[in-house]
Amino acid sequence: MAEDAGASGSNNDGGGIKEQDRLLPIANVGRIMKQILPQNAKISKEAKETMQECVSEFISFVTSEASDKCKKERRKTVNGDDICWALATLGFDDYAAPLKRYLYKYRELEGDKAAANQEQHKDIC
Amino acid sequence: MRQAGSYSGILISGKTGPHLLPLARIKKIMKKSGDGVKMISGESPIVFSKACEMFIKELTQRSWMVTMQGKRRTLNKEDVASAVMATDLFDFLLNLVSEMDTSKSS
Repeated sequence: MAEDAGASGSNNDGGGIKEQDRLLPIANVGRIMKQILPQNAKISKEAKETMQECVSEFISFVTSEASDKCKKERRKTVNGDDICWALATLGFDDYAAPLKRYLYKYRELEGDKAAANQEQHKDIC
Repeated sequence: MRQAGSYSGILISGKTGPHLLPLARIKKIMKKSGDGVKMISGESPIVFSKACEMFIKELTQRSWMVTMQGKRRTLNKEDVASAVMATDLFDFLLNLVSEMDTSKSS
């Protein structure tokens, strides 16, 4: 008997949600796998499919944890910090630190864009 | 006058930048994670895109070690299953791989 381990894609929603929508594209997944393997390595199609399933499960797993935190803190929106926190909590400490740096860099750049937008609005109003 | 920063293109666009995974799809998967997930900030899929990259690389590396132990050059799904079973961090995947692994040969 299969336990619903959070892979909610298998629950039929009356055909509204396609099977493929719950997985990341196999081509993209395969490309990333190749990046880490030696030149002469080969990857079976089934291995790529398994990896697709694992990544979706990973996303669900981490998102659930982040979402629970938001609920406890009465916040409606899951943000990047929540994801980093969830990763660290679930044992992915090696990911959390570089991702935080990545996130802050992204926010910095977004801040520049927002400031530029404000300048534009000043001219229009 | 608004100028698009060259770096903003690299970070946001899926083509040239470090985003190897489609953000919209990541967002869809996040939304289906549970009942409570309603709103997701714009930066979340971007963080996940990198996180998934790291995850795929780690699981692939570990799987490949099993492949090499078997003196093979083709990474197959049993290698992935073995890597999951050998790594505590990937316990959340145990149900998933045991469901897929119907014919186990020792």
